[in-house]
Amino acid sequence: MPKSWSMSAVTSTLLELQTRIGRAVLGGDIAEIADAIEGDGLDPAARLGIYRNHAFATLGAALEATFPVVCRLVDERFFAYAVHEYLREHPPRSRCLVEYGADFPDFLAGFQPCKDLPYLADVARFEWALHIAATIREAPSLQMDALAAIPAERAGYIGFRLQPSVSYFASSWPIDAIWQANQEGEVPPVDLASGGTSLEIRRADEAVAWRRLDSGTFAFRMALAGGVVLAAAIANATQRDPEFDASVGLQRMLAGGLAVDFSILPEGA
Amino acid sequence: MTRVGIGLRSPHVTAIAAVRPPLGFLEVHAENYMAETTALDRLLELRRDYPVSLHGVALSLGGAEELERGHLGRFKALIECLEPMLVSEHLAWSAIGGAYLNDLLPLPYTEESLDLFCHHVEEAQDALGRRLLIENPASYLRYRHSSTPEAEFLAEIARRTGCGILFDVNNIYVSARNFGFDPLGYLDTLPAEMIGEIHLAGHRAAQDVDILIDDHGSRVAEPVWELYAEALRRLGPVPALIEWDTNLPALEGLLDEARHAQELVNVRCHLDAA
Repeated sequence: MPKSWSMSAVTSTLLELQTRIGRAVLGGDIAEIADAIEGDGLDPAARLGIYRNHAFATLGAALEATFPVVCRLVDERFFAYAVHEYLREHPPRSRCLVEYGADFPDFLAGFQPCKDLPYLADVARFEWALHIAATIREAPSLQMDALAAIPAERAGYIGFRLQPSVSYFASSWPIDAIWQANQEGEVPPVDLASGGTSLEIRRADEAVAWRRLDSGTFAFRMALAGGVVLAAAIANATQRDPEFDASVGLQRMLAGGLAVDFSILPEGA
Repeated sequence: MTRVGIGLRSPHVTAIAAVRPPLGFLEVHAENYMAETTALDRLLELRRDYPVSLHGVALSLGGAEELERGHLGRFKALIECLEPMLVSEHLAWSAIGGAYLNDLLPLPYTEESLDLFCHHVEEAQDALGRRLLIENPASYLRYRHSSTPEAEFLAEIARRTGCGILFDVNNIYVSARNFGFDPLGYLDTLPAEMIGEIHLAGHRAAQDVDILIDDHGSRVAEPVWELYAEALRRLGPVPALIEWDTNLPALEGLLDEARHAQELVNVRCHLDAA
């Protein structure tokens, strides 16, 4: 490419064209761009509509595959409407669609037409955690004796990196029961007043699994997953459950293969 | 030796691993394997038995903005991990203002976009350390200010950048029908020696308007097979791929199509030898 070649000079009109088309594909007014498109015997809007339909259909299908119970709870037509609004406001930023939809639960939480299903956003959070557990590769686990050489007085400053496929998720609704009921052809009744859940979601033996954790264990692991050092994670756990046994908690966490790496906060930090 | 491959779709992975059908290669969409996923692990297992062709759908080489460095970096890492036999992308753009549209949108064919596209191809080839094949798109619209026929535009990209061409026979058929041009004239405009791969796929008619849609959702149509036979006559047995992405049949359905493509290659070789 010659040195005189200038990106900005060359791309200005193309950038404007693509900006307008991008807006139209994401649900904006197609008429805004119609004058740039050859009719060739058709309405230019119908031509651009083919691309728009493809974008919405494929991205919508990706979201439906990740959030099937959300779709079932609101029915397909409403789901398509919610997805449409979501896509307009939150088009994919990553070009890897396996990563698309992380903020769909937050979108649903603020989406007024869903207000009469107060647990919907949490069902979506649970399904996102299932999606992560199903798709993201597990890393080799930290060996039980990996911490043996750490001096006792530094142990509190250990920070762990947990399995990238694992999630911790708490809700004031029985989300796992709601999800499970919606795997059936006829949805059995779910006691919504049965209380909340604190869940660990991960892959185990090639399948996605989740389980309810007691309050101390949940607080401990959730804190570690959030990058909190060991001493502070133990404090979190005992605050929730004064009976929480830190050494048992640590041992079970390691034995379960949850940790993949660790680092020690430097002294004085 | 078979030179025909199939597009690898996740519902077929288990069957392919079990049956190990004779195939020239497997092609995957690069973006489906850029995250650290279990799907990548399964692909790496198949990679032991099959060459892999990496087909990018999201580099947005025709985008007016700078190429996204992060995406290029992930693409490069995947190339190092898979050591693909071919790396390809599209004559299209698909992202603007940080939004990825998951669409292969057409470019106006002007001097301006030719300079830009060539600049991006060179940048991508440098960053990835590989020669790219650029695929001709299936088109549903043309811009009023396009000044160059698509085939000339694509040929010029290959000439300027040294990239190869991925000749999608179904796309040519679809575009030629949609805009009333001669698909063989298009093929004859391309530099034959630069064509490094062929794609074959199904299409459908749009519901309300007289337009063909490249949906990769059915068997390859008869006129597309005929065009493929013509392409073989001009190009020789370049690697060919059966793409089937929607309304997926069982694996056997794709293998059937791959066998038919291979038969056409065999017939061609026989005729050339005679």
